[in-house]
Amino acid sequence: MDKYTDADWNWDFFKELVDDVDENKNIIACISCGKCVGDCPASKISNFNIRKIIQKILRGDRSVLKDSDIWFCFLCERCKRVCPKENINIPLLILNLRNESFKKGYGPKYNDLTKYVEMSERFLTNGTVLDNPLGKELPQDRVDELNEICNFARIKYVFKASKNKKQKKKK
Amino acid sequence: MESQNLVLDLEKIEKAYPENPIEFFKGKKLCLFKACLEAYFPGVRWGIQDLLEALDIEVVTCSQQSCCSGTFFQRNLITRSQFSAINERNLNEMNHQADIVLFSCNGCYNSVLRGRDFLKVPEVKKKTQDILESLKKKDLGENYPGKYDILDNTELRLVHDLDFLYLLKSNVLDSLKFDLKGLKVAVHYGCHYLNLERDKDTVESYLKDKKKLDEFVSLFGGVPVDYQEKESCCGWGASQIVLNPKDALKVTFNKLKSAEDVGADFILMPCPTCLYTLSKPEYREKMFKWFGEMLDIPTIHLNELIAILRGCEEERCITLRRKTPRLEEIFNIITKE
Repeated sequence: MDKYTDADWNWDFFKELVDDVDENKNIIACISCGKCVGDCPASKISNFNIRKIIQKILRGDRSVLKDSDIWFCFLCERCKRVCPKENINIPLLILNLRNESFKKGYGPKYNDLTKYVEMSERFLTNGTVLDNPLGKELPQDRVDELNEICNFARIKYVFKASKNKKQKKKK
Repeated sequence: MESQNLVLDLEKIEKAYPENPIEFFKGKKLCLFKACLEAYFPGVRWGIQDLLEALDIEVVTCSQQSCCSGTFFQRNLITRSQFSAINERNLNEMNHQADIVLFSCNGCYNSVLRGRDFLKVPEVKKKTQDILESLKKKDLGENYPGKYDILDNTELRLVHDLDFLYLLKSNVLDSLKFDLKGLKVAVHYGCHYLNLERDKDTVESYLKDKKKLDEFVSLFGGVPVDYQEKESCCGWGASQIVLNPKDALKVTFNKLKSAEDVGADFILMPCPTCLYTLSKPEYREKMFKWFGEMLDIPTIHLNELIAILRGCEEERCITLRRKTPRLEEIFNIITKE
């Protein structure tokens, strides 16, 4: 672990994350024991390292939002289970960081989300992520409700971008 | 008021009906939450549906239920409030027609509980309610009292198939025609069952849940085998397998290889998403290409296995899975008279 001094701590970023999701305040209790990293499936195959991510946040280092690492989390919740401290919710923190990353324009671009395009399309047109669901299809008025719920969500932009792409192809 | 997580209190049922917990479910209507991936594995749905009907328990599916939307939430494509609203809408519809909801998929179960969890945050709850209010104004579909209110005071309860089946294990065993004939079985619980704390109060409940599948294997006449990667992820990893296939499939490969190395005849699990990842023939081929070994260990969902053991026709249990490595071989071993 890098050496640091008291001057390295900066709470601004931490406070912003807590303002957004109150539960994030609990990461202050992290004792850097590393159990989360040792048991993490993403850490086995990538540079994803929860301990380092928490350190960066507590030092106010916003470069974590640009790190591709935060997109490697499996959201398996194992870190939450093995953490010796109570109520540190790493998966939720990661989702929050990804959200901030999106907002700043660092998150995955449309091209990186192409794998989600078909799933998003099916969800907003059939209410499932697969074609030919087992049993009856969701009635259209229920699909309309899903579209209403998802107003202004990124899923709508992915869906819209896919439609634009299709129209361009046709032309 | 704090929103309840709605998880069915199994200990309470065990205490109230120590001899025959099935009595608790008599006269109640059970709704099967439709997991999207059941489209690939219909035996997962039919396995439990047929069993419940054989046990004289009323079972329904809800035609108004959508996907749990966990896939989209996990990739930040919808907000917490939108995610909670999608799940609350589903729960409303199911509450309208059933008393208990059963989940065959770890992902759906986790999604619904996570959605309920978010409602503990007043701001998220307010936004969720606002979204649901906007649906009310649209006034679409059938109307009923309390439609699309957040379920604060409700009798509706939620339970994972594995927990439900374990509670009724003596009834399940009584319904079986075949046994596992000493087959060696590696069990995989899946992260969102194993690591989930939203439905547990004590350390004991954690430990107990980590033994249920192993115990089922023994009760079915098989031998549960321990393996290095027993508690590891299947590799799906919130769609990492779709976005970073080579890295994620390494996790899948290690899991399958670890089970093969201890001589397991198949892997048993309670989740169709894990089943999809661990069994998909294209993934096996990719692993062969990237990691140099073709793994052919079969994979079975608990509901499918119960259907096979109950003597259901192959068409009813595993018909769409003929490409799954060596699955028919296991089917034939178990069902040999």
